[in-house]
Amino acid sequence: MKYTDEEISRAARELHREWESPQLWPRIQAALAAEAARAERSRALHVRGWLSLAAAAAVLVFGVSVLLRARAPLPGVPAAEAERRLLTDKALREVERTESDYVRSIDELSRVAAPKVEEAGSPLMMGYREKLLLLDSAIAECRARIDRNRFNARLRRELLSLYQEKQHTLQQVMKEETDAL
Amino acid sequence: MWHGGEDATSDWTVPGNPLLRLDFTEEASVPGQDEGVFFEELYRSHGARMKSVAYNILGSAADAEDAVQEAFLRAYRSMSSFKGTARASTWFYRILVNTCHDVGRQRRRRRGETELGPEDQLPPSAAAPAGDAPLRVTLEKAVARLRPRQRDVFLLFEVEGFLHREIAEILDIAEGTSKALLFEAKRELQSVLGEARPA
Repeated sequence: MKYTDEEISRAARELHREWESPQLWPRIQAALAAEAARAERSRALHVRGWLSLAAAAAVLVFGVSVLLRARAPLPGVPAAEAERRLLTDKALREVERTESDYVRSIDELSRVAAPKVEEAGSPLMMGYREKLLLLDSAIAECRARIDRNRFNARLRRELLSLYQEKQHTLQQVMKEETDAL
Repeated sequence: MWHGGEDATSDWTVPGNPLLRLDFTEEASVPGQDEGVFFEELYRSHGARMKSVAYNILGSAADAEDAVQEAFLRAYRSMSSFKGTARASTWFYRILVNTCHDVGRQRRRRRGETELGPEDQLPPSAAAPAGDAPLRVTLEKAVARLRPRQRDVFLLFEVEGFLHREIAEILDIAEGTSKALLFEAKRELQSVLGEARPA
């Protein structure tokens, strides 16, 4: 004989169980507090992470923009030259400053030696004068080429060599004058 | 932020989700209360029923309490996803039932069992209900052997007194499906109990 629906329903209602568990809510409360604290830490880390990322991105963007601007060829200037300019600009300024001082010294020496060179009567002095004219011509040509390419180190070495030769020649002129006295 | 308020009232919404408003009060909601108050009131109003639901699914008082605690944690984590299409308590029971199934699977794996049913591990404070004790014991065992969905509907409707509309929301099924599952469950139980009934 089967149980009726009513009998089953009545028995089922007795399956509802209640018992005291005084520790359950404090447990849940503690677990929720821990979860809230964890979520708060996670949120803080998340925000801090984003701020760090944003800062890093800003630095990166700034750095890249500076680099791109530095690498970008100026109007009318080839890219390779622009790159060289970036890398050697400081060194070039130093070279030009030193070179300028050196040229000023040689010009001073030329000014002192000029009367003797112009009044040269001996074949040796005439030879020095001709050599100095050739050196001045070579120096002028070299400077013109350097003006077209200020970063050409070979031309600068060549110019330096010409100046050294001029200095040496002027010293020879001055020496010849002293010897002649 | 969780504060675990002591002076819980039953007339508020949860700041994190204004849709989360307890539905066991007729009073107007008072914005600004924290989640702690919401959950405390939820536990005070529904805790006993939650434990009973969990016990009948898991068959162990300790597992039931663990499941209730875990359900509160899951509810806290998913509070922002509450859409307001169901009542807050119904939403919580859905989380609880799903949690019970997850806990049940974990326990079965751990114990190497295939079925979980009431094991009468209730604490001494749980008074044994009066009535047909032999039928109740047999019914408990028979319910444990029902298919999970049939068992859920039977427990929620016959044992805990939910309406089919509420069960449909809790189990995410159609109301008609809830009725059909209950019908099937009862036929199944009648068959099993009939064999066990003394002549």
